[in-house]
Amino acid sequence: MIEALRKKAEELLRSNTVNVVFGYGEGSTPERTRPVFITKPEDVNKLTWNQYCVYNLTTYLKRQETRKLGKPAIIVKGCDAKTVIVLIKESQIKREDVYILGVTCQGVGEPLAVKCKACDVHTPRIYDDLVGEKVENKELSFDERYAELDEYEKMSEKGKWEFWQKQFEKCIKCYACSNICPLCFCDRCIVEKNQPQWIDPSAHARGNLSWNVTRAYHLAGRCINCEECQRVCPADIPLNLLNKKLAKEAEKNFNYRPGYNIDDELAMSTYNAKDNQDFVK
Amino acid sequence: MEKRLNKKDFDNFITSLRGKGYKTIAPKKDNNLIVLDEVQGGGEISLDHVITNNSIKEFFFPKTEKVLSYRMEKNNVQIEEPEDFAVKSVIFGSRPCDAFSLPVMDKVFNWDCSDKFWVQRREAVTIVTIACDKCDTYCFCTSVGLAPDAKGGSDVLFTKISGDDYVVETVTEKGESLIKEFEGVFSDPLSEASDRQVATVEKKFEIEKVKSWLDENFVHTVWTDFSLKCIGCGACTFVCPTCHCFDIVDECTMTKGDRVKNWDGCQFKMFTMHTSGHNPRSTQGERWRQRIMHKFKYYVEKFDSILCVGCGRCSRVCPADMNISEMLEIIATEASQPGNKE
Ligand code: SF4
Ligand code: SF4
Ligand code: SF4
Ligand code: SF4
Ligand code: SF4
Repeated sequence: MIEALRKKAEELLRSNTVNVVFGYGEGSTPERTRPVFITKPEDVNKLTWNQYCVYNLTTYLKRQETRKLGKPAIIVKGCDAKTVIVLIKESQIKREDVYILGVTCQGVGEPLAVKCKACDVHTPRIYDDLVGEKVENKELSFDERYAELDEYEKMSEKGKWEFWQKQFEKCIKCYACSNICPLCFCDRCIVEKNQPQWIDPSAHARGNLSWNVTRAYHLAGRCINCEECQRVCPADIPLNLLNKKLAKEAEKNFNYRPGYNIDDELAMSTYNAKDNQDFVK
Repeated sequence: MEKRLNKKDFDNFITSLRGKGYKTIAPKKDNNLIVLDEVQGGGEISLDHVITNNSIKEFFFPKTEKVLSYRMEKNNVQIEEPEDFAVKSVIFGSRPCDAFSLPVMDKVFNWDCSDKFWVQRREAVTIVTIACDKCDTYCFCTSVGLAPDAKGGSDVLFTKISGDDYVVETVTEKGESLIKEFEGVFSDPLSEASDRQVATVEKKFEIEKVKSWLDENFVHTVWTDFSLKCIGCGACTFVCPTCHCFDIVDECTMTKGDRVKNWDGCQFKMFTMHTSGHNPRSTQGERWRQRIMHKFKYYVEKFDSILCVGCGRCSRVCPADMNISEMLEIIATEASQPGNKE
């Protein structure tokens, strides 16, 4: 599979179909990979593929430094591919401006990432080219897809409040969670605005609560559950519980799953007279 | 002074300290992390780790703290300053690299103005370090002039010998008087010299070469190339024991407010943004260069210290696997190739 990936990357670069390939390379330790940006065909052997390819590389579609490299081919797993769909729907990129190099995936992380246990996109749902043996995507029921929340939802309101207060206390306001998120693409995040100061920049109880809740809410109905925010949090806050809970509510209310079908209308920015709340009329 | 203490008596030591009114801080497990935090007894202490996830700096320079409160009525402003922020404490089981970060940071916090929060806490806190008996691939203390059993910055140093025994050496007068105060807890040193269990940390680069290369290469493609994967978060600077940038904000209404000091970091794009909208460090490459330059050139010139103790935290935590010792190896290698100037 690695060979096929390299061969494809080389072809794309040689034929000038793309200027750069965003992919995975070897990392600091054997249990780690790192993003690499291949611009020369002779460098394609820097590309690798293994169970530690956790990154959702689509985050580099938003960064000015990597955008400057020209048209990219981007290696995406099934979950990452959903981001590309959302980015297209939200007018952040044009379909023709990115070459989607899908890879089939049996799961990443050691131990296996939570998202992979409920994965129904082992084969990406959008790609220009697919590398790897096609895997049948299994259909999962609504309950199966949100099974991760079962324990959490058993908690009382009070229990949940105390749980999050304890978790958010640990936040150091490094903003790795939003900087890594491919869908946190605002040029100026609300935390960076101080006239007025919407969110206290201090990492105290009030500041941390408003930050973490705002981040999660801004991703409601948009988050594709790549789990990157949770992976990078140095304070080990289970951010994915929040994301997943909001995704569940969004699906329940709008029958919408971000990134599954390119033809679906977005949940949060589509006017629909049949909306189940009256105020839109 | 030299003493001896067995692991099973750590609890006695902690309890005795608490009995005399010391706040006790030590490494303990918190889900997937090992954090320096308050402990009530020796049983909570974790000894089985390379290094804690958080650094020692938060006990002297917390992530957020109120520096004053104010209240305004017509032309009258009342100011209230916090008191009792320096609590008599012992940090037990910090690592030698973390301990050494303290004298390095003393220089900046006592520079053009003396930061009373830092200074008073430094006086109130005694540092009892445990030498590292293991390391990982991110550690590079030996490349920046330290060692897994270095004494600098510690008041007392514990080093493991056989059978869960530790040699206890006092380093400063403060450490000496602490051990004297609790003399009953400790045993006498063994009469024969015993093997110390200290990690072997491989030296990765020649630090001497780094500064001279930096002097010449403010403009170089390596800055952009190396930092392409950097996502510009502040994780590396916040976990770093020697990063000390902060931001002052007022959290206020029309009539009263708090002035708060918060961690800040050079990797954020807003860090250098001017009111005009101009940003002198407009790309991540420039911001990454700043991090390296500050640590290995500017601080050295100003304070004659390297602003890095080789703890490796920034690399462990980096979401994009940016590895600082790898950067320094690249620089040292570049420096060894004459004529390779840009
Ligand atoms: S969620 Fe699916 S596609 Fe994504 S990493 Fe896990 S197994 Fe692979
Ligand atoms: S919020 Fe987290 S899980 Fe959702 S898209 Fe962003 S990084 Fe991925
Ligand atoms: S990554 Fe974690 S610690 Fe950093 S701002 Fe986000 S929630 Fe807070
Ligand atoms: S080096 Fe890593 S931790 Fe530091 S700002 Fe860049 S991505 Fe974040
Ligand atoms: S720069 Fe990195 S290795 Fe050096 S002291 Fe800071 S966190 Fe540790």
